[in-house]
Amino acid sequence: MPARPTNLRPGLRVRPARRAGRLRATALGTALAALLVPSLGACGSDASSATGNSTLKWASSYFPAHWDPVVSGSGAQFRQLALVYASLTRTDEQGKAVPDLAESWEYNDRGDRITFKLRPGQKFSDGEPIDATAVKAAIERAQKQKNSALFGDLTSIGKVEADGLEATLNLTQVDYQIPQLLGQRVLQIASPKAAKNPEKLDQNPVGAGPFVVQQLIPGTKAVLKKNSDYWDAENIHIDNVELVSAPDTSTVVSGLRTGVYNFADIDPSQADAAKKAGLDVFVQPGFNAANLSLNINKAPFDNDKVVDAVRHAVNREEFVRKLTFGYGEATDQPFPKGYVAYDPKSENAYPYDPAKAKKLLAEAGHKPGDLKLGLVIPSEDPQAEIVQSQLAAVGIKVTIKIDKNWSTPFFAKDLTFSLYGTTGRDSAAQTLTAHFGPNGPLNLSTPYEPAGFEEAVAKVRQTPLDSPDYAATLQAATRAGLQSKALVFTYASPNLFAKTKALSALPKNPGHIDWTGVKLSGAN
Amino acid sequence: MVRRVLALTSGRIAVTILALIALLALLGPWLAPQNPLATSDNALAATSGAHWLGTDYLGRDVLSRLLDGSRISVLGSLEVALVALVVGAIPGILSVYLGRAFEWFTLRIADTLVALPFLLFAIAVIALLGNGITQAMLVTGVLVSPLFYRVSRAATLAVARSPYVEAAIVSGASIGWIVRRHVWTKVLPPIAVALAQTIGVGFVIVSSLTFLGIGVQPPEPTWGGLLASDLGYLSHRPWAPVAPALLIMVTVWACNLLADAIRDVSGEAGRALANDHKARANRREAAAGPHPAGGSR
Repeated sequence: MPARPTNLRPGLRVRPARRAGRLRATALGTALAALLVPSLGACGSDASSATGNSTLKWASSYFPAHWDPVVSGSGAQFRQLALVYASLTRTDEQGKAVPDLAESWEYNDRGDRITFKLRPGQKFSDGEPIDATAVKAAIERAQKQKNSALFGDLTSIGKVEADGLEATLNLTQVDYQIPQLLGQRVLQIASPKAAKNPEKLDQNPVGAGPFVVQQLIPGTKAVLKKNSDYWDAENIHIDNVELVSAPDTSTVVSGLRTGVYNFADIDPSQADAAKKAGLDVFVQPGFNAANLSLNINKAPFDNDKVVDAVRHAVNREEFVRKLTFGYGEATDQPFPKGYVAYDPKSENAYPYDPAKAKKLLAEAGHKPGDLKLGLVIPSEDPQAEIVQSQLAAVGIKVTIKIDKNWSTPFFAKDLTFSLYGTTGRDSAAQTLTAHFGPNGPLNLSTPYEPAGFEEAVAKVRQTPLDSPDYAATLQAATRAGLQSKALVFTYASPNLFAKTKALSALPKNPGHIDWTGVKLSGAN
Repeated sequence: MVRRVLALTSGRIAVTILALIALLALLGPWLAPQNPLATSDNALAATSGAHWLGTDYLGRDVLSRLLDGSRISVLGSLEVALVALVVGAIPGILSVYLGRAFEWFTLRIADTLVALPFLLFAIAVIALLGNGITQAMLVTGVLVSPLFYRVSRAATLAVARSPYVEAAIVSGASIGWIVRRHVWTKVLPPIAVALAQTIGVGFVIVSSLTFLGIGVQPPEPTWGGLLASDLGYLSHRPWAPVAPALLIMVTVWACNLLADAIRDVSGEAGRALANDHKARANRREAAAGPHPAGGSR
């Protein structure tokens, strides 16, 4: 069952473990609504079948709390917002930036200026034109809006110039990551007219994506219909979407089996049940990684030996076995293995070795059992219990503290010990700086940064993505970042989904849910 | 009264079950065959000789966790009942004697407390005061107290106008003496019924809160928490929720059974029942005829 923190800073979301992220109270409360509403709506779906319309019924554990992309940030909920909003670029199945609203882009010779050329004749669902002025407004809003969760991702962008369908971005540094950056995760573009009132936009989204919101019940349900003005509308074969907040994970499979939903993200614990029910269970590639966050500005983590002891006390395979049911994998980096930024040279730098952990603790002056830590998390999470038992095995007593207001002290870097998980970014450089940068939101030890990291990341930005040196440069930056004492990575959870056979396969865009080309046949 | 309750079959069943549950609460941690917090690689295992009720999602022995978790459920429900008794019964009795102002004031407070949904209020208090079952149960006890207030007030009103109480007042007896000597014995049976019922309600509340993950910090086991975690793994261990659900159900049922038994043997109804038992016994004896001299039955 998922534990899904609900009060995280929107920019970076904890990847669900189980029973995490949300209160079971919420799950129980929404269960009834989620089961009743679609059931009652079944009459409607019959009608839509009669008219030949196809309706995607999506139960999601990430129902967006905010529909303003600037507030919602680049966490897992960007996938739901992508129903409504388009962006300058998108990613293909290799994770590479390809045209979306922008049909092309071009860097200057120095790499500190990039011009995006927009497709002609496009408009937002409220009729506003999609031009360079709209792009400029979107970037500036993300940089300046008070509650923006994105401003930290846009530090490379200086002045934006708008000229008809050409938006030129003057960069503060050479940065070849910009096309990767300005995709669905970081720059979903809202209608500038609607964005003049951000509070209203937050619950009445207006974009230029493949669907248009017809009805939105905050936190519960969104009804959308196909946007015939979407630039790639001919490849969108779904007519309507009913997005509902998933109830308790144990009931999602039943909902899929009975036709209440035809698509849902599921917890790994439910995968077997979904398969037995004849559903298609599949893993969408992604960049998920979970970690222990240590604050080395505070005792006892101000002692390197204690940090190393924790590193050696972590048995990553136990996380994989008990939390992912074989669908995830161990990782000691902020990416899964096989990703271009994954550094093979850093693999298993701190192997599971409880004897060594005990020895390091003894060298640090701690007798077994006398080191006590408070592990602060936002909601019940089996990850925390595993950490507790693994650290107990080396003589560290961990008390789990659930703080519903966890996000405030976490992002204020006031906590000493916590857990986090990321769904990653399309730009590997962004993932690295978020974790290891001096002000990275996931760096609990701000302003600490490992030696040489800043230079290594700057080199990544300066290297074109198609350069033969890119992978090696990126991996060198990962290596520099992994010298950080503030993070201990544990495992990569899967992006696990189940669908009825009526829904065709989704494009395998890493980390994304792309509905392009997806078809829904008559029977569920 | 205890003897009369035990004379009833339902009373004996209820007392036996509740005694067993109390024993679990007292000795559970020592009776647990394994460390209830110790994880193992044997996650979601079926029942076996090593794990009579299988293991949970982290490989912990479910039986040990059930036994260890009984203490929180029992103590929590007792806390609710005792707080409600103290906060409700004493003002209920005194409201009859301490004048109209006190009566009006306590009645309005009781009305207010009845209007508050105790489960939601308990959650709100935990959010304010921190995650702990003690504070949640204290608040819940206060919210349940109007039951005791009304029961004790009604019983006291019935006694207060009786001739012997009026005679005591005329004779110069103090209110304290009257309450101790005359009122308390009359009020006690309905309070005992309410107490048994409230303990059952307390079990439901503790289980509901812990089911929602409220009031306890993981990995501390509770019956409600075990039930909740088992529901997430139904496809792996479909029978897992049965044990904690059954424990909660049987305990609440036993509390209600005890309340019924106390009600049956107390007051006028109790005397009628006892007389009925005696009459039936006499009829049986009469039907059996004269006893043979020196014989045995």
